[in-house]
Amino acid sequence: MVEIIFLVPFLTGILAFFLPKALCRSLLIGTGALHLIFSLLLWEKRPEAVFNYYFAISPEGLLSLLVISFLFFLISIYAVSYLKESDIHTENVFIGFMLLFLSSMTMVTLSDHIMVLWIAIEATTLTSAPLIYMHRSSASLEATWKYVLICSVGIAMALLGSVLITLSMDIGNVDVPLSFSAITGVAGKLDPFWLKAGFIFILVGYGTKMGLAPMHTWLPDAHSEAPSPASALFSGVLLNCAYLGIFKTNKIMHAAGLGHFSGTILMVFGLMSILAAATFIIKQNEYKRMLAYSSVENMGIIAFGTGIGGIAVYGAVICMIHHSLIKSSLFLSSGNILLGYGDRLIKNTGDMISRMPKTFLAFFAGFAGISGFPPFGIFMGELFIILGAFRAKHYIMAGIFILSLCVIFAGFAGHVMKISFDNSKKTIRLKEKPGLIWPQYILLLTSMGLCFFIPDSLYQTIVDAISAIGGGF
Amino acid sequence: MTILQVDTILTLVLLSILFSFGSSRLPRLIKLVAFQGIVVSMIPFFTGHDMTLEGLVFTITTIIIRGIIIPVSIYTAINKVDIKREVEPIIGYHASIVCGLLLIVAATWIGRQLNISAIKDYTLLVPTAIALLVAGMFLLMSRRNAIAMLLGYIVMENGIYLVGTAISVRVRHIVEFGILLDILAGVMIMAIILQNIKRTFDDVDTAHLRSLKE
Repeated sequence: MVEIIFLVPFLTGILAFFLPKALCRSLLIGTGALHLIFSLLLWEKRPEAVFNYYFAISPEGLLSLLVISFLFFLISIYAVSYLKESDIHTENVFIGFMLLFLSSMTMVTLSDHIMVLWIAIEATTLTSAPLIYMHRSSASLEATWKYVLICSVGIAMALLGSVLITLSMDIGNVDVPLSFSAITGVAGKLDPFWLKAGFIFILVGYGTKMGLAPMHTWLPDAHSEAPSPASALFSGVLLNCAYLGIFKTNKIMHAAGLGHFSGTILMVFGLMSILAAATFIIKQNEYKRMLAYSSVENMGIIAFGTGIGGIAVYGAVICMIHHSLIKSSLFLSSGNILLGYGDRLIKNTGDMISRMPKTFLAFFAGFAGISGFPPFGIFMGELFIILGAFRAKHYIMAGIFILSLCVIFAGFAGHVMKISFDNSKKTIRLKEKPGLIWPQYILLLTSMGLCFFIPDSLYQTIVDAISAIGGGF
Repeated sequence: MTILQVDTILTLVLLSILFSFGSSRLPRLIKLVAFQGIVVSMIPFFTGHDMTLEGLVFTITTIIIRGIIIPVSIYTAINKVDIKREVEPIIGYHASIVCGLLLIVAATWIGRQLNISAIKDYTLLVPTAIALLVAGMFLLMSRRNAIAMLLGYIVMENGIYLVGTAISVRVRHIVEFGILLDILAGVMIMAIILQNIKRTFDDVDTAHLRSLKE
């Protein structure tokens, strides 16, 4: 029974609204652990869904699901320690929406029906909006308003795109269920004009949610205003979920022989995002916004790699997995910095190396990882993407890509140096308890481990997923 | 003549776009959007698809939600929290109306080019849908009042609904379900947010929401 995996967090999420604080916390970790166990079981057994008209297990969905489960479990451990230190009063609301958010994201990874996927992605917006508003300040209100409005418009575009794909089915006289797997099977018969139009709308729609420039404007605000465990979830898994929608549609495009068209568009949007991130990251004055722009950059890298095809798609998936691991660890560390210094501005922090040595280690290692240094996996991913770009003879685009990465690294490094080594007069209000440190360490160690050794089943799943969109060696 | 009926009704929708571009007060805008919602939701009765019981229920529910529930809830919201009635345009009303006219002309031209065989009988269907989509976007971008923006979003959704009901016979009910869910939940959440914007800023002018940049 595949569906149980999103029903459980849904039910516990609703339950959390009525429970006292202490119970809520154990409920959060318990559900996280249970979810992880279910995901591993699903990974091993790969059973058929009960409502197989709407849900199905796909390799790309399984990959995202495993990442979601693993991240959520670690983030839930962190969140419990974080909630003890922070000033969030409505704790059960926070935990309840975290669990509902988990449920909706799980549904995204498992849905096979075009409309169910759309509803699930819409549900992620609705369940995550309250998480941004947890601090109840006017800035967080503004961020929530922007998030809901921009993402609703985006999701409306994606709906239009889905409708246009059904139009291409009608014109091509195809009568199959409206599921990705079925449509991919008959993609050759679809009307190419409307399929292309549908893809563009879906890319713009889900791209808004994924944070591709120029639709990324909600992302820095939402990430900086949400409490850090929620930001880690946003960046680590929500963006991947939106990418999954694009990925699945791209599969249809490739099956219909329009892979070149979709690839070019993805590359353009990807490069735009990387350029936008490079422009804005240099003059950021808040560290959480800086991390958010780095997410825009990484989503751009993923889209760019997917667009190139071949070995670059493999690189893109590697980047996706490692970005989730590393970026969520960075956001968790940024939560410690916020708790410690009580300030979001970079200029009011400093000397983290002696004030908070453990957080410093996690933050600095994360910074090295996200900038593409070995031994972290993003290094491999970016290497594959650059290789793929050269192989496909996109020399100019590869040049822009590498140059932007350098600019982003320079901007990022400057800020991180300030936070880590500058003088600071602030007194630190935080004791670095194990629960606030170890989740980050485990995330980073996992990324390191996966850089050297990829288990066979994981490798096989990645190859299965990317072979449908023109990826491979 | 079924064909004429649909096109006549759609003319009303096009007119409502022009009126909504020209209206300066929120209550008027809400009424226009309600009217537009009812008219758009009625289209399935005239497009000549076989109306099943299920389809009938869906269509009537849509009319009730779009024509009554949503406008009334927005109306009570603005009365209760005493929101400014001006829509605070960034682009003036006259310029907006000219834009609207140009938009309708352009939409008609594009509609001609597209030439979708499934709905050839209804000349105005595609142009109206395109016009609604762009008009919604226009209202979203050119009005500063948060409720006017919300109404712009609903206009856009009307456009998608029209595309969905008219073009894709196959997915009709799912499209309806999706939009209803979306609108209901979206409006509820936005209403809650608006209440809070009001409380925090004493106003729903989104110009106050300008401190987060870049």
